[in-house]
Amino acid sequence: MPLVMIVYYVICLFIAGMLVWNFAREKDDRQMMLLYLVVLVPLVLRLLRIN
Amino acid sequence: MANPLYAHIAAVLSVMAAAYAAARWRKLGVELCMLAAAVAGGLAGAVVQTPPIGELARHLVEGTFTYLDVMLVFVTATIFITIVTESGGVDFIVRAIVRAFHRQHLVALLLLMILILIPGALTGAGSVSVLTVGAPSALAMGHLGLSKRRTAAILFIVAGLSAAAPPVNIWAMVICAGTAIPYVGFTYALGIPVLLLGTFTILTLGWRRDHRVSRDEALRAMPQPPPGMNWWRVLLPFGAFFGTVAASRLWPFATPVMGLPLQFTLAAIVALLCSPRRINALALSRDTVRRLVPLLATMAIVGSLQQIMTVTGVRGAISYAVIAMPLALLYVLLVVLLPISEGLLTYGAAAIIGIPLVWYLDSIGLHATIVIAGLSLLWPLGDGLPPTALIGRLTVMVSGYEGSYWSFLKETWLPWLAITAAGIGMIVYSAKLSALVAWGL
Amino acid sequence: MSRSGPVKGLLVAVVASVAAVAGAQFHQHRHQRLPIVAGPAVARVASLSEYGEGLARTMADTKVFFLQGAEPGGSALIMAGTHANEIDALLSALIFVENAVVEKGTLIVIPQLNHSASVYTRPGDGCPLFYGIETPWGTKVFRFGDRGASPLDQWPDPDVYVHYPDAQLLSFLDARNTNRSWPGRPDGLLTERVTAAVMRLLAEERVDIALDLHGAETMFPVTNCIVAPERSMRIATMASMTVTAMEGFENHVEPSPKGFRGLSHREIGDHSDTAPFLLEAPFPFLDQPTGPKTRDLLMTGRDPFLLSLAGQQKLFVPYDESGWPIEKRVGQHCSVALEIINQFSRKRADRAIRISEVPRYADLVRNGVGFYFHDPSKADPARVHLD
Repeated sequence: MPLVMIVYYVICLFIAGMLVWNFAREKDDRQMMLLYLVVLVPLVLRLLRIN
Repeated sequence: MANPLYAHIAAVLSVMAAAYAAARWRKLGVELCMLAAAVAGGLAGAVVQTPPIGELARHLVEGTFTYLDVMLVFVTATIFITIVTESGGVDFIVRAIVRAFHRQHLVALLLLMILILIPGALTGAGSVSVLTVGAPSALAMGHLGLSKRRTAAILFIVAGLSAAAPPVNIWAMVICAGTAIPYVGFTYALGIPVLLLGTFTILTLGWRRDHRVSRDEALRAMPQPPPGMNWWRVLLPFGAFFGTVAASRLWPFATPVMGLPLQFTLAAIVALLCSPRRINALALSRDTVRRLVPLLATMAIVGSLQQIMTVTGVRGAISYAVIAMPLALLYVLLVVLLPISEGLLTYGAAAIIGIPLVWYLDSIGLHATIVIAGLSLLWPLGDGLPPTALIGRLTVMVSGYEGSYWSFLKETWLPWLAITAAGIGMIVYSAKLSALVAWGL
Repeated sequence: MSRSGPVKGLLVAVVASVAAVAGAQFHQHRHQRLPIVAGPAVARVASLSEYGEGLARTMADTKVFFLQGAEPGGSALIMAGTHANEIDALLSALIFVENAVVEKGTLIVIPQLNHSASVYTRPGDGCPLFYGIETPWGTKVFRFGDRGASPLDQWPDPDVYVHYPDAQLLSFLDARNTNRSWPGRPDGLLTERVTAAVMRLLAEERVDIALDLHGAETMFPVTNCIVAPERSMRIATMASMTVTAMEGFENHVEPSPKGFRGLSHREIGDHSDTAPFLLEAPFPFLDQPTGPKTRDLLMTGRDPFLLSLAGQQKLFVPYDESGWPIEKRVGQHCSVALEIINQFSRKRADRAIRISEVPRYADLVRNGVGFYFHDPSKADPARVHLD
């Protein structure tokens, strides 16, 4: 895999990590909880090299 | 007898509208209302196997990938500019502009216009203009005597024009890719209208100052940059970004394809290293991502909505309605159709409406390149319209405007009209404007 | 556990379930193999990576079938799957691989030129992942693909794609499009490595003519035609006139524009000794103003919106209630390809290529496409190749 592509997976992992961190900290706002998860879906599937 | 497909598509569209309205009534945010519309539309479509129910989950999920790269750009660009702001770089730039040009505020505004035009022109994304130079420009305009509302209006219009400006205009590129028309000859066809309309925007919105502040007063009121901040520290991060963009243009075959997210990430790392203040990068990234989540979710969900609209036939029906329209009515309706389609689909609008429209207009003797240039002046206006309102929302975010969203948008009416007139005029009189097309440029 | 725990757990469960169902389907699509039964003339099956080292062990590597004649002669290449969503090209190429008898010369077939594109579908476009072709022995299942390579294999896209070597600016979407990456570079993007490998194959195998099979929208002016540069023009014109007169379907010739870089019909002609031809058959599934993107639309090309637009003279092909069924589209490709090879052979007797047992337009309309595919479970396993 080319180096630049590896860096993109690292960027995705970093953003996914920030989303999970925020999701874990979210206490009350259920809408925000769902939005974190929706944004995570493409990032996680890309990280797993599924799509 | 009418084809049963028409009734079915109408039913899907109604179910989507009803689901959106019901979600709104339950006080859900715009993003979740769109998600409700997408899920309900998919379920309604599944009644007649468009899509088969077993494929609904895949369509919803696949749609979220439509704008994945754009989402990465937003996150990395926003983290970059937030680091520059936190380091005091933005304050430093604004002080310099106010100090140098306080007396000639129109000159200052025109310089700021050029500054805002550059990032969008190079990347094709008005959002990049807003995210990189938007905040310092907005602050500078404030100190030059403009209200926050007019500042936001100028920023929004000029950022939109920057996306249309050559050399990179993504709407035109998408249409060219889909119509097999070479993406050449747009330099003057887009460059001249963008510069004229940008200048018009500055003159109409920036002529009158809302408040007068003396230079010293303005400088006193502005936050002090941290000790140790200097031009090197401010310009190096921007240099890293524009340097990598410029390198990919100047030596395209010697430079690896980096893509905007990596270019912004590198710039962010340089900004972090140049900051005279210690910045907690992790906490800053976490908070930036939190702030951006509604926008990121909008992008993901609009992709799903777009996919569901296609698989149910709604998207095709909309495309058909545009193409089948009588020409005179089409010209009139383009005024609203193009911005609305952009608000709904962003760049997807160029593919869905733009490609068949250009084939059609080309076949009746209009000049395709000028038509594409004219169309692509109108689309950025839609970046202020919901549900996505991409540039609009980012503009409000970076300019610190706190009034209602619609009052900011209303402020743009005069340049909005001028851009619309210019765009439609270019389409209708495209054959007469063919001299603007300089092949090979 | 905090108060929000159960809500979070429920939300994660719902979203993860939806993602898992979708993920399983994506995974199946990316890894499903297509069995191809090598026909009587197939003498060798190579990998494209033999002509471009940079493709080895990547999803862009693809099978190259060499159909050898008993007598020496010229050499022709048929490429399909340049755009993996234009399915008629792949089906036509497989009909050649599974049925052709080569009497003279060599026929080389690459059924899935942009192999990476065949394992991906474009987000937002709502396409099916698979489609089936009915055959006398059951349904043969194919992957539906995309116009461009999968981002799992080539990522990121540039903000603007700069064509090599002319430096023409193209849409970022075209960076993954193997019909914008000709003539390619061995150390460039994956798509550029694919086309560079084919350029090397053209030179090493002394290929005389190269045919690139496509499908195009009915609203696209360049459809139902052969696109040819100057050096291929005479053969293309003769082939077009012959099929129109003898086989009863409309087909015309379009000149390859000089100012539009990266296309096979432009760059192969400009950078090699091979004469290129690009064949377009009408493919209504790609049109924007259609109903749902269903398997039925894929097979029949029947759509009420297109029918209405045809009534308003807004299409560039004849269109009626019967749509554009797959048999006609594949039939056109087979006939036009055979006729180009025939016209070339008449012009260059020393490099002639003679092929038989490939059905023509009327055969396909009569028997259907599936009639010409062989049952891999009944074939000699050594002759069955998984793509």
